[in-house]
Amino acid sequence: MAAPVAGSRIAPRRVPGLISLVVLVVIALVTLLGPWLAPYDPGAQNAALGAVGPGADHLLGTDNLGRDVFSRLLAGARTALIGPIFIAAGTTALGTTLGLLAGFRRGWLDAIMMRLTDLMFALPGLLILIVVVGIAGGSYVTAVVALIVLGAPVDIRVIRSLALSQRELAYVDAARTMGLSDRRIMFRHVLPNLAPTVTSNLLLSFVFALIALSGLSFLGIGLPAGTPDWGLMIQENRTILDLNPWAAVAPVLLITITAVAATILGDKVFERLSAGKELTA
Amino acid sequence: MRDELLRVSGLTVSLAGRRIVDDVDLVVGSGETVGLVGESGSGKSLTARAVAGLLPPTLTAGGSVRFSGTELIGASERVLRKFRGRRVGLLMQDPFAMLNPLLTAGAHIAESLPRGTRRDRQEVVRRLAEVGITNPDVAYRYPFQLSGGMRQRVAIAAALAGDPELLIADEPTTALDATIQHEIMQLLARIQESRGMAVLLITHDLRVAFQLCDRVQVMYAGRVLESGASKALATGPGHPYTLGLISALPAVERTAVRLEGIPGSVPRAADVACQCAFADRCGQRQDDCLTERPPLRLLDSGRLTACRYDVAPAASVAAPPSVPSARKSSANGPLLLVEGLRKKYGQAVALDGVDLRIEPGERLGLVGESGSGKTTLARCLLGLVDPSGGSIQLGGMDTTRLRHLPAARQREIRPLVQCVFQDPSTSLNPAMTVGATLAEAAALAAEQDRRPVGEVLELVGLPSGYAKLRPHRLSGGEKQRVAIARALAVRPALLICDEPTASLDVSVQAHILELLRTVNSELGTALLFVTHDLAVVRQVTDRIVVLLHGKVIETGVTASVLDSPGHDYTRRLVASVPTFTGSDACTI
Repeated sequence: MAAPVAGSRIAPRRVPGLISLVVLVVIALVTLLGPWLAPYDPGAQNAALGAVGPGADHLLGTDNLGRDVFSRLLAGARTALIGPIFIAAGTTALGTTLGLLAGFRRGWLDAIMMRLTDLMFALPGLLILIVVVGIAGGSYVTAVVALIVLGAPVDIRVIRSLALSQRELAYVDAARTMGLSDRRIMFRHVLPNLAPTVTSNLLLSFVFALIALSGLSFLGIGLPAGTPDWGLMIQENRTILDLNPWAAVAPVLLITITAVAATILGDKVFERLSAGKELTA
Repeated sequence: MRDELLRVSGLTVSLAGRRIVDDVDLVVGSGETVGLVGESGSGKSLTARAVAGLLPPTLTAGGSVRFSGTELIGASERVLRKFRGRRVGLLMQDPFAMLNPLLTAGAHIAESLPRGTRRDRQEVVRRLAEVGITNPDVAYRYPFQLSGGMRQRVAIAAALAGDPELLIADEPTTALDATIQHEIMQLLARIQESRGMAVLLITHDLRVAFQLCDRVQVMYAGRVLESGASKALATGPGHPYTLGLISALPAVERTAVRLEGIPGSVPRAADVACQCAFADRCGQRQDDCLTERPPLRLLDSGRLTACRYDVAPAASVAAPPSVPSARKSSANGPLLLVEGLRKKYGQAVALDGVDLRIEPGERLGLVGESGSGKTTLARCLLGLVDPSGGSIQLGGMDTTRLRHLPAARQREIRPLVQCVFQDPSTSLNPAMTVGATLAEAAALAAEQDRRPVGEVLELVGLPSGYAKLRPHRLSGGEKQRVAIARALAVRPALLICDEPTASLDVSVQAHILELLRTVNSELGTALLFVTHDLAVVRQVTDRIVVLLHGKVIETGVTASVLDSPGHDYTRRLVASVPTFTGSDACTI
């Protein structure tokens, strides 16, 4: 046996996953501690100052109304990230439960579920979202609920196909032979075997929601004007790119970095969880 | 010795610096049939792949492979391509995976025919005839339109199309039914003789190797333990491992008093690099077996063994009394009564009026080839599929449509009949620890019968520490033990075993069969043993039922049915079991 690698060394293939994890943890901490870290009140205006570039007083400069960009980024992390977290949790819970039921039970439930997802796939999702949220008064909560419903079909399909292949395996037959209830077999036996996919789905849904919500904010849907929010900041500050480019570029970078980190982490978590216990029909 | 065709010397195969095949020598003369025998993990298939230059890219080969003088290790793909097909033919285990589903049988053969004859339809027909396919229309059929045996024949014709001097056959019959295995093996032997071609046969089945090969080389943990003429090896093995393998073989002609497996499991080659690879499982180990790797020494007339000592004949311990069956003729009627059971899948008839009767504690064998309906029957009894007609009575209760009974009633009946499935790698939930699996099963038994997990593990001969492990940490044999333990934890009256040893090595198979016999005699659990292997069924059953096309064609006491089969089909089944005459040391 080769001696175990010294503890200070990290295998090169684990570096991207670790960096992603660190980035996400830092972003999460900043989101939580934002109000205490912010040097200024994110809403405080200083019309006399106007838009200025980064400097000693203002780390990332100010926007048109003289508001501190750095403080607004910290405060904006809340609406930008907490919504997607709810959406990811909601989509995964809904998609996993319905997908498992459809794939494991088959029958009429499966048929209805499949036609419903077909319908959802055929609809232009974001367009509907814009219309629905627009009509419903443009509230943030409506957008979150609508995105949960829009995101679920993908999860339903993925989990259903996995459940279909798992139910053919002998361990499911063995559990049936023992007289265990369908519910127990589904949630105690089959679901843990789908853990790698469920976790990586969770992270991918988060990315999808992050971009969709920021997109809506950019279009001015969901949040009232003036709210500190990454998507909204891009829209408000794109006109002052010449005065203080950071005011628009910083939120773009943050959205991109968060999305990329979550995607990579999703991949790595999937690889890690499925290592060694692959099981195929 | 005939002209030397292939000489492998000092061959190593490593994965990321760890050796999997370690210092293997192998010589195949032209026109000679050599068997490479070993259990899973012995490195026999990797050796064959290294010879053909077909190792997966993550593995690296070292040493030397010379084919009629040309070095193949490290040779460029262009050089290798000149050898593959034209000088070395390859035949793989799964004929379905080997044939391209989009090409016809004829196209497969025509593709590798020598230049000039590729467009010759007559040549394809001749090649098909050589492998026993007389119907020329087969050339126009696609692989999915052919049966398993036909596919393997087409695969053989394709492998031979380039007229190779050496055919490497890697487990060519493992995926096939017993009678077809027999036909394919005979076909290979016939073609070998008529073409004067050399064959390197890779197999886990000693009986097949002894029957077909001039010389046999036994591999273990990536190295060669013994090599020599088949006859000499079969009658007087020169290595304790070979002796162990031979002793573990069940025989179709007799019921062994005790089935001797080899204790432990195959180590990884890299872990035993500096000792005798077999030492940890060897009954006659000495101190120096562990300190130094024994070299191959010459025994006599070309026989080599990697054991320093003379092999002691199989210890003739006073044979323990034969394990009796726990059969009781009970006053309460049979445990299981099946009458006129039918099952149709669309137009296909899987079961066509099957009658079956099992007394409490009885051991019944259900024998048939694929498509005979034996697995469908087992699944009907387990309440996993609904029969289309007939009735099933279990312990006096009607369980014909078990799936549709109320949940409470199912919970009451289902523990009565449990199952050990064929492939232990899928029958255990990979996400649950052994302990959780067993505890869940034990909770289903009646309160007064519940056994703690440790006791259930002990029942199947596993240490209680295994409760903490997940299935992927266990070997195939250990997984099957856990699967048996799970079934027993429920305290069933009837245990259905669906080919429980088909995916296991011989040395492990003997342990599992012995365990099942003990379970029957000590716990009084009735066994329904579903299998295609007649030698196995002889060891563990009192009565057998032979199934063909969903009908029972013969039934009776196991020994008398196998010794003097009444039905033509049963006779063919018995004849297809490979046999060899071993020495007295091997008779079990």
